Amino acid sequence: MVTVKINGKEITVEDNTLILDAARHAGYEIPTFCYQADLVGIGSCRMCLVEIEGQRKLQPSCVTPVLHGMAINTETPTVMSARASMLEFLLANHALDCPVCDKGGECELQDMVYKYGPHKGRHAEPKFKFQEKDYALSPVIIKNSNRCVQCLKCVRVCREVVGANVLGALGRGDHQEETSFFRHFLDCDQDGNCIEVCPVGCFMRLPYRYKTRPWDLKGADTICQWCATGCRMVIEERDGVLIRSKAQFGVGLNSETLCARGRFGNDSMTRAERLKTPLVRRFGKLEPASWQEALAVIKDNVPSDGERIGGIASPRLTNEELYLFQKLFRNVFGSANIDSSARWDPDAVEAFIKAASMDAGGVSVFDCMESETVIVIGSQVSDENPVTDYIIRRISAGRRMNLVIASPRAMKLDSSANLKIRHTAGKAGALLESVILSFNSARVAGTGGLEDMASGRLASVTSEAGVDGEAVESLARKLKSSGSVAIMAGTDFLRFPEGIAKLGLLKDLLKSSGKKVSVLPLLDRANQRGAWEMGVHPSLGPAYARAKQKGLGTDEMLEAVSKGALDFLYIAGSDVASMYPDEGVATAALGRARFLVVQDTFMTDTAKFAHVVLPGAAFGEKEGTFTNQEGRAQAIRRLMHPPGKAKPDLDIIRAIGERFDPSFGPKNFVLALDEIRSGNRMYSNVSLAFNNKKNSDNRLDSKEALVQGAGASDLEAKEFAQKPSAESAEYPFRLITGNHLFHSGKGTMRSETLSGLLKAAVVEISEEDAASLGLKNGDRVRVKSKDYAAVVTLRTARGSKNAHAFLAENFEDCPVNRFLRRGEGPPMVSITRA
Amino acid sequence: MAEDKGRILELIKRVLFTDFVKGLTVTLGYNVSKSITHKYPDEEKWVPYRRFRGVHTLNRTETGKELCVACELCSKACPTQCITVIPMEDDTGRGIADRVAKVWKVDLVRCLYCGYCEDACPTRAVRLSREYELACTDLSCTVRQREDLLKPVQVPESFEGGVIAKSEFLRSKRGIKVKVDLSNTRKRPL
Ligand code: SF4
Ligand code: SF4
Ligand code: SF4
Ligand code: SF4
Ligand code: FES
Repeated sequence: MVTVKINGKEITVEDNTLILDAARHAGYEIPTFCYQADLVGIGSCRMCLVEIEGQRKLQPSCVTPVLHGMAINTETPTVMSARASMLEFLLANHALDCPVCDKGGECELQDMVYKYGPHKGRHAEPKFKFQEKDYALSPVIIKNSNRCVQCLKCVRVCREVVGANVLGALGRGDHQEETSFFRHFLDCDQDGNCIEVCPVGCFMRLPYRYKTRPWDLKGADTICQWCATGCRMVIEERDGVLIRSKAQFGVGLNSETLCARGRFGNDSMTRAERLKTPLVRRFGKLEPASWQEALAVIKDNVPSDGERIGGIASPRLTNEELYLFQKLFRNVFGSANIDSSARWDPDAVEAFIKAASMDAGGVSVFDCMESETVIVIGSQVSDENPVTDYIIRRISAGRRMNLVIASPRAMKLDSSANLKIRHTAGKAGALLESVILSFNSARVAGTGGLEDMASGRLASVTSEAGVDGEAVESLARKLKSSGSVAIMAGTDFLRFPEGIAKLGLLKDLLKSSGKKVSVLPLLDRANQRGAWEMGVHPSLGPAYARAKQKGLGTDEMLEAVSKGALDFLYIAGSDVASMYPDEGVATAALGRARFLVVQDTFMTDTAKFAHVVLPGAAFGEKEGTFTNQEGRAQAIRRLMHPPGKAKPDLDIIRAIGERFDPSFGPKNFVLALDEIRSGNRMYSNVSLAFNNKKNSDNRLDSKEALVQGAGASDLEAKEFAQKPSAESAEYPFRLITGNHLFHSGKGTMRSETLSGLLKAAVVEISEEDAASLGLKNGDRVRVKSKDYAAVVTLRTARGSKNAHAFLAENFEDCPVNRFLRRGEGPPMVSITRA
Repeated sequence: MAEDKGRILELIKRVLFTDFVKGLTVTLGYNVSKSITHKYPDEEKWVPYRRFRGVHTLNRTETGKELCVACELCSKACPTQCITVIPMEDDTGRGIADRVAKVWKVDLVRCLYCGYCEDACPTRAVRLSREYELACTDLSCTVRQREDLLKPVQVPESFEGGVIAKSEFLRSKRGIKVKVDLSNTRKRPL
């Protein structure tokens, strides 16, 4: 601790605190351009100059740490005139075209000059111009370098946080231009974080270009709907059209960052094709109807026998809606057949919940990153949870720790890892087992026969996992030497369930050897965790309590529908036809359904089969809470009213419930949350008061929002042996699937901006494979399995495991679920030039 | 003493109807003086001074490019929020920049004619004209759109104003129009 005097006020701060932070702490504002907490300090803009007594020159406070006994003045006339002069320099060549600049009204340079600046210009010379016209750097970024203040925040955020590292500085001094490699069109993550950090109108969003002024926008502070990272954002509309989504500095766990989906994907909300009125099937055609009619038809068709009723709710609904949905089924319909995923097996989900200790309450990603070793396994985190990827990158760069990534696919985060393991897809179990054996070798050492058995087993599982023993040993060594370990386990464990029990075993083993272990599930749907915790699961009720009666999961429900054992299916927000991992089975079942109710925002493939379609609200049109993958319950807020006769899903579910039981259900989301809190131990402390609380000093981890533990649980963890893929020389590639970086499920396909970024499917294979097939990046190739073939564009990835092909599950022109077959393992495909 | 005097004076005034006569002189004076009533709008119209603030106009450069860059400063400055500007991108050379107004409209019945919008405009695109005749037969004409506002106004900038000009009164379905003959003016008395 050191004591310094700032403007005569004595304060004591930690060693190595920057003068800037100390001054802000003491309540003095110092203007900055290039400083940003979490980015490496470069001290280039000189806005933050302060006077240190005894030193003749002013010092940049953003890179100067305090020393004991320093006397610092931040508001003397010298400092003030230095600020004005710095601004005068910046303005000397600044375009000053505020009237046409999209940043006008929220520009840091404007504010700064207004506050500190010279209010008169002295330069009559013609200004230096980089270029006459703004140029597009990507489909979402447009650049005007004439307005640059050379703070390099764009370059640093791209390198240090996003990890794309595609921006750099061209030229020097005031002729320095921050741009892409010789201004070429960027093929990057398109997340627009450079736009967000740019203090001036230099990096600008193309979809927002010349649409409005910031002061025309009405905003709502909400949570992103596209993955379970749970980024906080403000969505803004003008005249009923969603204009932009932006992050806020120092707020939410994401601070100023978002990914492409979050920043550009919400325009789907105000598309004209939204469902606006209930539809009822009459004489084979869906026709508009009133709510009264639609609800009456539903009521008439609900069978009295609960076993003949089934429900599937989307993990994108709010906790309150999901809670009500399961209440409707369990208490009103007397049915146990509910599920929250069209893709995953409920038993695998249960095992995953147990293996990831989700019932033990929330785990903060920041706490996980405090661990000495962090393992990311079963997740393409850079694509599925981009902001989690940023958090891992940023924190791992700043401290000594091990980051281990186990995945068949290369990913952006690899560059931060000090151990990459490329195992065969679907062999995470074998990999984990080899790690467990290797970790445990000390225990069996010297036990004679047991030792041989263990090493024999180790060799066989290592080769089964397709990794070299060296990597496994190295991971085991890292685990042994770490006092704390965090495992981030992703959705690959659930896509083709496998290795879940081994995950649990590794966790328990590490715990029993005295290490602090935390497991963070990495999920791809905004409220997947909430859906499980609300009890939308055939065998688990709220707070993972075992349900009295075990119902059918999606898979079994579809089978029952096909067989005529289930008459009434209510699908809320889920697109089963296009997400269920076997399109043929799903569409056959839906086509045979006796009565199908679909509640959604768009006319999805599933809704086309429905007998009644109910128009629901998009995430910006309702209120409620989402629980992210960490177990942080955060509030989403309403910005607009749903279009036409569409209604918030909570109201729809309640209206259906009230037809059967007039006393059903709380009247609004606050009352619903109260009901959840009183009945669900995990949520008993969740409060709207601390939801979305602002943190002013960039401390992003609001721990009070984490849900509590569920107490003693009786979750079962079965081991799932993945069905082996039928290997043959004809189909050499193992197909892996997941979300594309720009897309999440099918929802983002409706976003104009995102489908502008990438609409047609791409398949990704390793560079070596491509070379041996004589293919290169961008070629059109035919992906063929024994059941289906599609022509798509090829992408090559450096460092992916050979003989693996990645096809994202989002694209309309290549529905992955046509490759998949119910009851079979991951499909094998061939790739040939089209 | 003085009180009595005053009372007597009062009495005399009453008997002689002095107040009545006083009032009558004013009336009679006006009766013989020159009339200041404008025969508006049938025959005459007042042409306002140059600094008068009337209906908005949007202006162009000499080469015909729209000056408005849709910066929305006018609408921000406006105390009654009666201007709506929606910008858009346009590279065809319509405006002086590639940012032009998709919509620029003003609600004239809410406007105060304070001129703040004029002051705020960085390109002098919006100017208040001397047009003050807003009468119309329905409310549609109270909102003026960009297309209308871009039409050149009749009164030439060089004309001084503050006079009464000969005019013709035209009534049509679209509203009421006064046609002025600027070559035939007289000074406005007062
Ligand atoms: S483009 Fe923006 S963020 Fe980048 S250096 Fe220039 S002013 Fe800073
Ligand atoms: S990382 Fe996930 S939550 Fe965050 S902005 Fe992207 S999609 Fe949204
Ligand atoms: S004159 Fe005043 S009230 Fe009227 S539009 Fe302009 S700023 Fe608004
Ligand atoms: S009239 Fe002037 S102030 Fe108003 S939007 Fe156009 S340029 Fe801006
Ligand atoms: S903020 Fe300190 S030099 Fe830029």
